[in-house]
Amino acid sequence: MSAKHNTPALKHHFEDLGQQHACERLGIWMFLATEILFFGGIFGAYTVYRYLYPHEFEVASSHLNRTIATINTIFLITSSLTMTLAIRAAKLGNKGELIRWLFVTAALATAFMVMKGFEYAEDFHEHYVPGRMFQDELKSARDEIAGKSEEDAKKHQFKPERQKWAKELAVQVNHKHVDPGKVQLFLCFYYIMTAIHGIHIIVGIGCILWVAWEAWRGTIPPENYSTVEVVSLYWHLVDAIWLFLMPLLYLTGAGYKH
Amino acid sequence: MADPTPTPGATNDDPHGIRKDLDKPGQLVVVFLAVLGLALVNIFGSTAMGPGKFTLPFQLAVGSAQATLVGYHFMHLKNGDKVVLLTALSSIFWMGILFVLFLGDYMTRHMIVD
Amino acid sequence: MSIAAPQGAPAAAPVPPEPGPLPVNYLNNGHSIWSWLFTVDHKRIGILYLVSISIFFVAGGIAAGIVRLNLLQSDGAIVSEDAYNRAFTAHGVMMLFFFLIPAVPAVFGNFFIPMMIGTKDLAFPKLNLASWYVFMLGAALAIWSVLVGGIDTGWTLYPPYSTRASQSNVIPGVLGVFISGFSSIMTGLNIMVTIHKMRAPGMTWSRLPLFVWSLYATSLIQLLATPVVAITLVLLMVERAWGVGIFDPSLGGDPLLFQHMFWFYSHPAVYIMILPGMGVISEVLTCFSRKNIFGYHAVAWSSMGIAVVGFLLWAHHMFVAGISFYAALLFSLLSMLVAVPSAIKVFNWTATLYRGSISFQAPMLFSIGFVVLFIIGGLTGLYLATLGTDIHLHDTYFVVAHFHFVMVGGMVMGYFAGLHYWWPKMTGRMYSDFWSRFAACVIVVGFFFTFIPQFVIGYHGMPRRYPNYPQEFQFFNVMSTAGAGVLGVGYLMPAVYLTLSLINGKRATANPWSATGLEWVSQSPPPIFNFDESKMPVVVCGPYEYSLGVDQMGRTLPDAPTGAPAELHEGTAADGHGPTSPAKQES
Repeated sequence: MSAKHNTPALKHHFEDLGQQHACERLGIWMFLATEILFFGGIFGAYTVYRYLYPHEFEVASSHLNRTIATINTIFLITSSLTMTLAIRAAKLGNKGELIRWLFVTAALATAFMVMKGFEYAEDFHEHYVPGRMFQDELKSARDEIAGKSEEDAKKHQFKPERQKWAKELAVQVNHKHVDPGKVQLFLCFYYIMTAIHGIHIIVGIGCILWVAWEAWRGTIPPENYSTVEVVSLYWHLVDAIWLFLMPLLYLTGAGYKH
Repeated sequence: MADPTPTPGATNDDPHGIRKDLDKPGQLVVVFLAVLGLALVNIFGSTAMGPGKFTLPFQLAVGSAQATLVGYHFMHLKNGDKVVLLTALSSIFWMGILFVLFLGDYMTRHMIVD
Repeated sequence: MSIAAPQGAPAAAPVPPEPGPLPVNYLNNGHSIWSWLFTVDHKRIGILYLVSISIFFVAGGIAAGIVRLNLLQSDGAIVSEDAYNRAFTAHGVMMLFFFLIPAVPAVFGNFFIPMMIGTKDLAFPKLNLASWYVFMLGAALAIWSVLVGGIDTGWTLYPPYSTRASQSNVIPGVLGVFISGFSSIMTGLNIMVTIHKMRAPGMTWSRLPLFVWSLYATSLIQLLATPVVAITLVLLMVERAWGVGIFDPSLGGDPLLFQHMFWFYSHPAVYIMILPGMGVISEVLTCFSRKNIFGYHAVAWSSMGIAVVGFLLWAHHMFVAGISFYAALLFSLLSMLVAVPSAIKVFNWTATLYRGSISFQAPMLFSIGFVVLFIIGGLTGLYLATLGTDIHLHDTYFVVAHFHFVMVGGMVMGYFAGLHYWWPKMTGRMYSDFWSRFAACVIVVGFFFTFIPQFVIGYHGMPRRYPNYPQEFQFFNVMSTAGAGVLGVGYLMPAVYLTLSLINGKRATANPWSATGLEWVSQSPPPIFNFDESKMPVVVCGPYEYSLGVDQMGRTLPDAPTGAPAELHEGTAADGHGPTSPAKQES
C-alpha cells in the first residue's frame, strides 16, 4: 500500500483519492447539468412568451428596480471570486484563510438576499405583484383617465396614492394596445425565477456555512479539498444563472421610453 | 490489489497531487475584473441602446462571455477533465434542443399551409 | 474445459451443503430494522426499492382493476364517472412514476451495476440511500392524495383543467411526483458517475455488459429530462395555488407550452422505462442461448441512439393539439427515426437466438415475451407517428394498447425477466422451475387477451379515458377485462412462488445459469462488499464469451443448465466455478 491508500479522507469504496475526487467532481457537475436543465425549462418558457409578447415584456421589465439588481450583480460576482480563493486556501491547508474566505462569501450572499428582500418589499409596497393587487391598482388608474384622449391622459394629474407604474401602464393599456394580462405574465416569471434563484442562494449559504463549520472542526485537510470545490461549483453556477437572469428580467426594459 | 499508475502531479510533499492545479490569485482577480466589467458593459450598454432588435443578442452575448469566463476559470474547466467538460457541454446542448424545438413550433405556427 | 482458471480458487467460498448456515453476506449481516433503514449498501437499497415498488405495483394494479371492471358495461359497471377519472389517474401516476421509472434502474441498477463493473459500491452510497427516502416521501404524498379523494386530471395533468377546473387533490399529487423526480435524478447520477469512474481494472467501455450500457443511456435521460418536468410541475403548482396565468389562455398563457414542457420529459421518460428492460433482455438472451451477443457495438450504441433521438420527438403527443404544421412534420419524421435503433436491437437479439442452444427457463420465457410484445408495440407506434393516421387514432384505445404493449408487454416483462434471472443472486435461493415457467406463459396469454381487443376498439374509434361507450364495443371490453383477470393472476403467481422460495427454495450456487458477468463471480447472495476484498475482479475479456465458455475474468464457466430442474440445481452445487464434468463430481 502506498501513501495514497492510507489517508483518513479516503472513503472505503474508492481505490484512491484521485478516484474519489474525480467522482465527486463529476457528480457535482452532473448535478449542475440537471440544474442547467431545470433553469433551462423556465428560461425556455420565458423565451416563448417573450417571443410572443415582446412589447409587454419590455414594458413590464422597465418598472423593475435596476439599481438593486446592479448592486446584487456585483455582490454575486465578488462572492464567486472569494469562493475560488477559499478552494485555494483549502488546497494549501490554510485553515484560517479558508474559513475567512468562506465567511466573506456567505456574507456577500446574505447581502444579496437582504437587498433582494428590500426589492420584494418595494414591489409589494407598489402593488407590482400579479393578481388582485396589480389588477386593482391598474383599474383605479385606468378609471381616472377613462374616456380621455391619449394627449389628455398623458397630462392627467393622477391621485397622489397612484403608483408610478400604474399611471404609465394605464395610458399604454388604454391607448397603445398593451395587454395587462401579458404584463402580469412577465411578473409571474420575474417572481418565480428570482424566487427559485433566491432559494438556491439560501441553500448555497447553508452549504458554505456548513463547510466553514467542518473546516473549523478540522475535517477539511487538503486531501478533502474537494468538499470545498463541490460547494464552490454549485455556487458559481448560481452566480452564472444570475448573469442571465439579470439581462432577461431587469435589462429587457432598460432605457424604455414611456 | 496492485498499485495503479502513480497519481498525476504528485510530488514528495504532495503525494496526492492536490496542489497541481493551484490557482494564481492574480489571475483570479483579472478574471473577476473582466466578469465585473462585462456586467457593467451589459447594464450601461442595454440602457443606452434601449429595447431594440439587437439588444437581446447583445445581452446574451455578454452573458455567455461572462458565463464562459466563470466556467473556464472559477469552475476549473481549464483543468481539463474531459468527462466534466462533456457533462457541461451536454447540458448546454440539451437546453439547446429544448429552445430550438420549442421556438421551431412557435415561430412557424402562424404559417398557413395551402 | 482446457482453460485453467488463472485466478486460482473461485472468488466465492464454496456454498456449504444444506442446511448449514450461509457464509457472511449482505443479507445476514445485521437483521434489525435499522440495519435496513440506515444501510448504505447498494444491494440492500436495491432490496428496499424492490419491496416498495412491488407495493406500488399492486396499488396501481388495483386501480387498473377498477378501470377494467367498470368498463364491463357500456354505462359503467361499478363506480361513478368521477371515481372512474380518479381511478385511471391513480393507475397512471402509480404505475409510471412509482413503478416503471424506478423499476429496473433503482432495483437491478442499484444492485448490479457495481457488481457488473466490479466495484464495491456506487460512487455515492449516502446519496443512494437518500434517493430511497426521497422516493418514499414522494410516493407517500401521492398515495395520500389518492386516498383522501384522488386526482381526476389523468397522469398528464394538462392545464387549464388541472389548474382551474379540477376539484381534486392536484397539488399534493403533483408535489409527490415532483419530489420523487429527485430520487430518479439521484439514482441516475449515481449510476452514471459509477460507470464512468469506478470500473474494475480491464473493464473497458467495450467490455461493459449491455445492461450497463442501457442503464447508462437511461441515466442520461433521467439526468437531463427530469429537471425540466420538475420546473414544469412547479409552474403548474404556482398557477393552481395563486391563480396566476402561466399556461391559462384566459390570462395570456399558452396551454400548449405546458404540453411541450411536460412531454420534453415524459416522452424521453418512456425510454427511461424501456431501455433498462432492453438491457436485461440482452443479458438473458445471450445467457440462455449460450451465444455471444450478435453485434455488441450495435446494441450498445443503439441504446445511446435511443437516448439521444428520444429527446427530439416529444411533440407527436401534440399532433392534434394545434402545434405548427411544420413542427408536426419534423416531429413525425423524428419519431419514425427512433424506430431505427429500436429495430437494430430487435434484429440483433433475433440474430443472437439464431442457432443458439436455447433453454427455456423462466427468465428466457419472459425475455422472448418481451421481444414479441415489443415488436408489436413498436410497430403500432409507427401508425401514431404518421400524421394522417394519428388524426384518426389519437386519444383512442389504439394508443392505450400501443403503449401498454411497450410498457407492460415490454418493460414489465423485462422487469420480470430480470427478477427471475437475478433472484438466485439476490436471495441465494432458487424458485420453482415449473411455476415460474407457467407464470410466464399465463402472463403472456393474459396480456394478449387484455390488449389485442383494445387495438380493435381503438381503431374503431373508442376514445381513451371515457367511462361510457357504444354497445357494440362491449364484447371487446369484456374480453379485455377477462384478459386482465388472467394477467392479474399471472402477476400474483411470482409473488407466491418467489416468496416461498425464500422459505424452502434450494440454495443457489454462485452461478446457477452459467452466465459470464462479474456479478456471477461472487457468491450467492454476495458478500458485503460484493467481492472477496483481497481479490477484487480483474477483467480480461468481453461480457458474453459463451463460445469460449469463460466469464469476464477468463475463468471457465460451470456447465450450462440444460433445463431439467434436478440438474439445474444440484449439478453444480459443490462449486460455483471450474470444470464440473460428471467424472469430477464423483471423485
